[in-house]
Parts: sequence; C-alpha cells; structure tokens
Amino acid sequence: MVQIVIRGSVDGCSPPQWLLVELQGEMVSRHNSGLAGNVMGDLLYTKEGVPVLIVGHHILYGKLVKLEKPFAVLRKHSGDSPDSYADDATQIPMETDHQGLTSTSYTVSALIKQKLIFKTRPKPIITNVPKKV
Amino acid sequence: MRTLEEVQATLQIAKLNEEDLNPTIHCLSFGENVSSADYCLMELDDTLCKHIEAGQSLVIRGDKDERAVLCSCDKTYDLRIANTSNLLLFVPGCKTPDQLPITQDRACVVHAEIWGFCNSYWEPRKQRPKLKKLKKLLMENPYAGVPLAGQEESKENRYTMQDLLERIQASEEEIKNHLVTIHACQIDGCWCGLDFDYEMKLLSHVTQLVDSESWSFNKVPLQTSLEELAPLEPREMIEHCLNCYGRRYTDKGEVFYALHEDKVCRGLALMLLQNAVKFNLKEFQEVWQQSVPEGMSTRLEQLKGVVLVDRASSPETISLLKVEDLPEDTLERFNLLFTLREKWTEEDITTYIQDLCGEKQTTGALLTKFARSSLQNGIKVFNSRRPVAT
Repeated sequence: MVQIVIRGSVDGCSPPQWLLVELQGEMVSRHNSGLAGNVMGDLLYTKEGVPVLIVGHHILYGKLVKLEKPFAVLRKHSGDSPDSYADDATQIPMETDHQGLTSTSYTVSALIKQKLIFKTRPKPIITNVPKKV
Repeated sequence: MRTLEEVQATLQIAKLNEEDLNPTIHCLSFGENVSSADYCLMELDDTLCKHIEAGQSLVIRGDKDERAVLCSCDKTYDLRIANTSNLLLFVPGCKTPDQLPITQDRACVVHAEIWGFCNSYWEPRKQRPKLKKLKKLLMENPYAGVPLAGQEESKENRYTMQDLLERIQASEEEIKNHLVTIHACQIDGCWCGLDFDYEMKLLSHVTQLVDSESWSFNKVPLQTSLEELAPLEPREMIEHCLNCYGRRYTDKGEVFYALHEDKVCRGLALMLLQNAVKFNLKEFQEVWQQSVPEGMSTRLEQLKGVVLVDRASSPETISLLKVEDLPEDTLERFNLLFTLREKWTEEDITTYIQDLCGEKQTTGALLTKFARSSLQNGIKVFNSRRPVAT
C-alpha cells in the first residue's frame, strides 16, 4: 500500500492565503502560444467594491464571495525532489516503497477562503482602433 | 509588463470612469508554473481547515485496488474528484477591496501572477474507517499462550504500528482505539491478536481466583493476582487480561482492578456459545449466571450485537452473531442478515446495522433504502427488497 504525505508547514504556521478567481468558460491564448508568461487581463474594483475584469475585448462584472468550504492549494513533489525540509526532525518521515525510492508527497502552498466570481455574460468592448500608447 | 498608461488606455476604451474606481488596478498574468500540472486544489471542511492552519500534516493511504483515503491523526475521509464547468484561477498577490488602502491620490498598477488554475478539485468526505482488515491481520498469528516445549513461537505475520499504518485505511488514532477494542496485545514491539480460547482461559483464571479468594470484583489486587497466577500464565498476559476486562486504579499506593461487569459477563457468554450452533435460551441463561463471578448479574442486554435470540421458535433459542464478523459493505451486510433471518424487528436489525451509518446518516434511512417493511402481528418487521435464498 502507498502512503502519500500532505505536509503542513515546516514551522507549524498557517499557510498564506490566496484569492480565487472563478470564470465561466475556457481561456485560450490569442496566438496559441500557451498561457504561461502571458498577460490575462486587468482586475479593478469600483468604489463600491464590485470587481471588474477586462479580458481581451470583454468586460465582466463579478462579486466577492466567501467560500463555504475553503480550498487548500497542494503542490506535488514526486521522485527525488530536493528536500529543503529534510532536516526538520518534526516532519513525518517520507515513506519509501520496497525499492527504497522516495515516493510522491504534497505540500500545502496556500489556503483560499474567498473568491471573485464572474458569472455575468461578458460584455464586448467596442473599439475602432485600440489606442496605442 | 503593462504600464499604468496602457492600463488607463484600456479603461478609457472600456468606458470606465477612473473616478468610480478604486485607484489600485491588478494586472493579471499567467505565471511560468501554470502548465506544469504538479498542483491541485482540495476542498476542506472545518476540521481539516483548522488542521492545516495549525500546520499539521495529512496522509493519503491506499492499495492499488483500493480507493484512496485521506487521514488526519484521528479521522478518515473518502477522497473523490469533483469537476466544475467553471475555471478556477488562484492568485497569490491579489487583494480584495477591504485590503486595499482607502485613500490614494493616484492610480497604480499591481502586477499579480496567476500561479495556477484548474477545473476540478479533491473532495474529502468523512467516512467510517476500514478497520475490519485490522482484526484479520492480527488474527493471522494470534498469541495463544507460551508454546509447548520444543516448539518455537512463530514471529511471522505480526505487525508494528508502522506496518499497520501502511496497510489499514484509517487514521492512527482510530487504529489505536480499535486495537484496544479487539484486545490486541503487543509482544516485542509487534501487535497481534489474542487467540479466543486463550483469552477465555485467562479470563477464567482471573474470575476463578476472584471467587476462590472471595474478593469483591471491584477490588482485584494486581500484585496478588500476578503472584497466584504466574505459575499458569505469563505475567504480562494476566495483566493484559485485567486491562481488557477491568479498570485500573490505585488505592493507598496499591494497584487494583475493578472488573467491568458487562465485559466479563459478555466474555463468558461468548465462551459458552462459541461451540454450539444454537443454545436453549432458558438453559443458557442458567448456566451463564452460574459461570460469572459472585456478585455479578447477567442480563441479555449485555449481549447486544453478539447474539441473536429467536423468540419465535419453541423452545426459544440463542446463538452467536457478532456484528464485527459481518461484511463491511452495506449491501452485502443486508443480504447476509436477510439470509440468516427472513424478517427482522426494527430493534433487532438496528443493532446489526448501526455501525454502517455514515456521518449524519440514520439507521432509519438505511432501512428505507435497503429493506422493505411490513406489519406482522401488529409489529413492524423488515425483510429484503429482493428474493433471498434462506
């Protein structure tokens, strides 16, 4: 049987809190170059605190919601990943399988307790020519 | 990286008035790690969330042919994957309106990276731990007393706590509690079960000693018991038996045990019923009362979950039926129960399905789902929903 550890933090502290942004639909990069490194859009808030998202030539209005059940962001470490926490004696020792290989483990990178959800239909931004700066 | 001017140009095109907006604008872009797929989201209930906030760890346990199970130090969860049609992006550096400065003169751009995104997440659901395997493992090589001269005790198939954690889909605390419940003992650091006949032998030694010494069963001295019974059995085993069937306490520096009436009576009943298929109820009750220590009273309630009383037969009979021997799977359990007896009263069947109830589930709900009810002689009885061979 396998035992896969999900490590809490090294020092017993709470993990950092991130924000979740929930969108309907799919995101595709404009030039099919993959998403990594690319700009997604601009997020602003009105003075009343309403979040507004401008993605491409769409504008979406959303709201800030507290999650009924928070999320944990888990980061996977497989194989012989460099152990920056190998020295901590309070950690649960990593289970090894019969070949003595270090097995998969996870760490909790963050907790998410709130989200910005954009459920309304995106409105197109009508332009003649995008103003070039 | 977008500049403030570029962002403000976008706002203008979008016909948004800067005066209506909070001056801080987050410019979101995808981090380098987004496509790596070495991350995921897991939903947390209150308990798990507090656990993680305290920096504690969790363990996923499972064999190749088993469903994965998530364990904290004292609870077990079934792990499922839930899908959503929406896209979930997680952004570390993004602030909510209440976290932004209230007043600010000029607009500014904050660059926030989208660390990852997904459209599915792990969903743990609290469930009863799978502990039947524990007893099965520990009975592979149970302790049955000092081996006969010339024979060596086999050390195979005995497990350390670490071994057990690797094989049982349950949290450590739940495993430890179950070890106590099933009277497991630790020999040379390894856990093993106690052979039933041997356990009864130990119990008989203790109860007979209590009677012959005319002790109150609430005040059984440890030292004297060990001295008197040492010629018969290892001291550790005598003490183990006292721990299983009594409560340890100290009085004026001396250690005593208060024997638990219900546990002792139940143990002795099991011993009597072990070798008979069915026992005449009246005869059984007489023999049973005679076998327990002076001062203890036997009651049929003590045998709930381990015996089945048949009041419909003439004469009335009693037989062994231990809930712990029944299948863990709900459907299999119901099928077996209805094979043993066609119709059950609610009281009788509830005893044998109580442990199947998940979080917030009642036996009533299980009966509605898996059985059919009818009235027999004015009493509500339950039978199988489908034809069962008896």
